Parts: sequence; C-alpha cells; structure tokens
Amino acid sequence: MSRTVFVRFSAGLIALGCAWIAYTQAPPAPQGKQQAKQPNNTITKVTDDLYAIIGDGGNSSVYITNEGVILVDDKFEYDGQDIIDKVKSVTNQPIKYVLNTHLHGDHTGSNEKFLPIAEIIAHKNARDNMVKNKAPGVMRVVFTDETDIFLGGKEVRMKWYGRSHTNGDAVVYFPALKILASGDMGANNGPNVDFANGGSMKDWGKTLDEVLKLDFDTVIPGHGPVSKRQYLIDYRNVATQIPVTVTTMVRQGKSKDDIAKVFTANGGLWVNPNVVNKLDQIMAELKN
Amino acid sequence: MSRTLLVRFSAIAISLGCAWLAYTQGPAPAKGGGAKQQKGQLTTQKVADDLYMIEGDGGNVAVYVTNEGAIIVDDKFEYDYDPIMAQIKGVTNQPVKYVMSTHHHGDHTGSSAKWLPTAEIIAHTNNRVNMVKGNQPGAPRVVFSDESDLFLGGKEVRAKYYGRGHTNGDAVIYFPALRTIHTGDLMAGASPLVDFSNGGSLKEWTTTLDGVLKLDFDTVIPGHGPVHKKADLQTYRDNIAKMQTRVSGLVRGGTSKDDLTKIMQSEFMWAGLNLQMGGIDGIMREFK
Repeated sequence: MSRTVFVRFSAGLIALGCAWIAYTQAPPAPQGKQQAKQPNNTITKVTDDLYAIIGDGGNSSVYITNEGVILVDDKFEYDGQDIIDKVKSVTNQPIKYVLNTHLHGDHTGSNEKFLPIAEIIAHKNARDNMVKNKAPGVMRVVFTDETDIFLGGKEVRMKWYGRSHTNGDAVVYFPALKILASGDMGANNGPNVDFANGGSMKDWGKTLDEVLKLDFDTVIPGHGPVSKRQYLIDYRNVATQIPVTVTTMVRQGKSKDDIAKVFTANGGLWVNPNVVNKLDQIMAELKN
Repeated sequence: MSRTLLVRFSAIAISLGCAWLAYTQGPAPAKGGGAKQQKGQLTTQKVADDLYMIEGDGGNVAVYVTNEGAIIVDDKFEYDYDPIMAQIKGVTNQPVKYVMSTHHHGDHTGSSAKWLPTAEIIAHTNNRVNMVKGNQPGAPRVVFSDESDLFLGGKEVRAKYYGRGHTNGDAVIYFPALRTIHTGDLMAGASPLVDFSNGGSLKEWTTTLDGVLKLDFDTVIPGHGPVHKKADLQTYRDNIAKMQTRVSGLVRGGTSKDDLTKIMQSEFMWAGLNLQMGGIDGIMREFK
C-alpha cells in the first residue's frame, strides 16, 4: 500500500470513526450535521453480477439476479438514496434483500429506507444490539446459525461463526462467485473490538479460522478495497497473535505502554488506532 | 385417546395420505379417486385473541395477526389458496406477510407458489432441499439451519429446527407470547408417519420432541387434528418411545418383513402412507 493511499485511508478511517461514534454512541446525531452530509460513493464491478459500493460507511455489496438485487449493508442514513441510485446505474432490478453484517450505524444506517421495500436479515445478536442501542431500522427477520437466500437461481449464504468485532457479525458468502463479504470481521487496517456489543479479541482468530474454511478467492471487506483471500488470512494471523502477545507481555509484567509500542513496531494490521486505544479492555478480556 | 377419535384420525390420515400422494408423487391429483374430501371446505377456530387455526383439507394452518400484517404457518394444498385467504379475511384485514413452513409435504406447502409473490416464505434448509428434489412448486427464497425469528408489529415468532422426525426438515413454530407451538407433522394423527425417503427418522423422533418439549408452552397446534395441550405432546412422544423399544426388539430378533408389517398394522395402526412409503424397510434399516 503506497504512503498516499495509506494516509488517505487513515484520514478516512478517522473520519469514519468519528461518524460512527457520533452515530452509534451519542444519543441522536445533531440534526443540522446529518442533513449537511452528502453521500460520496462509487460503484465498482467485482464480477458481472456483483458490485461493491465503496465510499461512505461500510462497503456495500450488490448481487444482481433476474428476480431482484441482494444488497449487503447499507451505510449511513444519508446514503440510502445514493445506494438506490448506484444500484440503478448497473441494473433495473429492485433491491429485494438487505443483509446486515452487524449492527453498526455505518452498515445499517439506511435500513429504515429499505424496510418497507425489502427484507432485511441479520444475526439475532445484531438485532438485539440494535434494540438495546435504540438504533433505527431494526429488521424483522433474524437467524442464529445460517440463513440462505435463493433468488433468481442464485444463492447467498449468511453465516455466523462466533464473536469478533461484535457478538453478531455475519459473513455473506456468494458460493457461485467464490467471494466473501466479511463485514468488519475483516476491515481496514486491523481488528477493532466493540466490547459494548459483545465483541471479543480472544475469539476473533478462532472465528476467522472457521470463516477461512469457506472456499473463496476474493474478499469484500467491511471497509477498504476489494481484496484477495490472503487479506483475511493475514487478518486472522494478526487477530490470533494479538491475544498471545498481550497475554505473554502482561505475564512478563510489561506495561500497557510497552505493549502499545510492540503494536506500533509490528505495523500493518496491528496499528489500527482502535486496537491500541482499547488495550485496557483487551487486557481485561484476556485476563479472564 | 378414545376409540372413536382414533378411528377418525386414522381415516383422516389415510385420506390425507392419498391426497398427499396424489399431489406430490403423481403428475396431477387423480380426479374423483382417493381423496373424497370436499376441496376447500375450511373452518377457522380461535386459539387466542390474535391466533387462529384453519382446519380442513391438508395440514393445519395457523394465523397470527399483528398490526403490521399476518403471519401464517403452512398453506395446505394448491387449491386451498383462495379458501385460506377467505378464512383469513374473516378474522382480519391485515395482509399475509409471512408464511412459516413446517415441512415440504404438499399438504403443507401446496399453495406456496401462490403466496410467494406477496409474502416471504421461511423454511428449514432441508425443507427447501426436499421441495427442489421433488420438483414441488413454490420453494421458499429464505431458509435457516437452526433458528429463524420473525418480528412483526411488536410480536415475535420463532421457527426452530430440533432434528429429524417426520422428515429431516421439520420446523416447530413457537409463539412465545401465547405459549403456543405449531408442531407441523412432528405431532399428527394417531401414529407417527415417517417419510424415510426425505430423511425422516423414527429413531431420532423422540430426541427431537425432547428438544421441543423444553420450550415453555401450554398449547399445541398439531400438523393435523385438533388443538392439544403440552401433556398430549408428551404422551405422543412417550408412545413413540414405546414403539421404538418394541420395533428395536423385533428387528434385532430377526422378525421377517411380513411379520413386522403385520405387527405394525395391528399394534401401531400403521396403514396407508407408512406402508406405501417404504416405512417397514425404513425401520428395518434404522433399527438393525
């Protein structure tokens, strides 16, 4: 990754982070700011019938069938119409299903717009978290282990493998394409655990071990560019190593600052500021 | 169960069996043959203020009324679509938004093709697999592996898979607020009908019902027959356990197929479908 791209990503990440915090953690976002936001997304072809909408919030995937479109994640509230427009630019098919990879407002923000026209499906814990957080656009249909969608002769599998970013992350698998939309189980430059919504640094690696049993070549991550399978393998390796490193260093009596320095020195997927900022919580989780 | 009831059940089971065979296994239902029931003669019974049961023709249909639409369980035969709609209109103006399917048999999924354009049909993965295998129309778009919950108009319905029994894809539909379940054909008629060719299992049926019986409920809408209490499902389960013990002893003792057939007929009221569908071979395989 070039330095420019990296800087742009970091800036984007910080902006997204602020937006996400404002959206999901503060009561309601200030109205003026909400209305001022203009969507900024581009739609990219991944295969003939699968597109990714990248820009604001989490990545959306668009799977086109001759009986309608299956959409994965729907960004922020102000992106709803832009998602519909972007989908219209590549197909006349209406959006029939929206699959939410997890609860966060940068992935479920325009659910309210889609609820009247589409079936929104998520893991049970994602819905429970949305209800708990009084998030808008709560879905009608949830699943516990796996749910499959069959539309226009095509199949999409949505599966829960365990805790990671939250306790309700689902991956969405397109078997015919060997493509996986990973949600924030694999996103940007490193694991970010939402402990308040059941996330786990301890389980993250194990969860990705299961995900990696799926047969896929391409990953549409929760944030960041469309990647190869190797991206998720690297991610798994780091997610597995973080608990080992932290536990070992804590046992050696090393300070939080010392541990943070190792993260910085390792670079790559270790340097997500959210990992370093949440070291206290990670250490607390690993103590148990 | 009284003798009269038993006889009525057996008669219903046989006539349903013929209808079902005609529907699912033959090209088209034989006119005037086998099934002598009055097509589309349905009656509706109130189970709770917002839950109804539609009887007649195929399997029992449950209707759960919410202020955002109705949820129904199963949809009888193809020709019952209009009669079911008429019965629902008799109790609510709400449109049917969801059809929860207990299993693939044509007396429970027969009008699915007519509901699909306006409602979401939700079923267990194996239910859909069996429908596709049998070239049945109206295969659901949405399936689940373990549990799928539906939230509509502030009400909740849970569809849950507990294991093999009548088929390998039986879902139990639970209405937690009403402490009521719809068992599909995991409870139906006087004697369990095992569809071995679609993954049914007499051996696992009791374990499956043990799981179901852990739910907190009082009222049972069976796949066929009148509304029951939880204790009746326990009795149904215990009778299957007795059958398993007897059958196991017979099969292991080297009882011939002919003798086993006679015993199943005389002791367990096996008739019609159980015999026609290779049930004797099935239990000989299962209990060998």
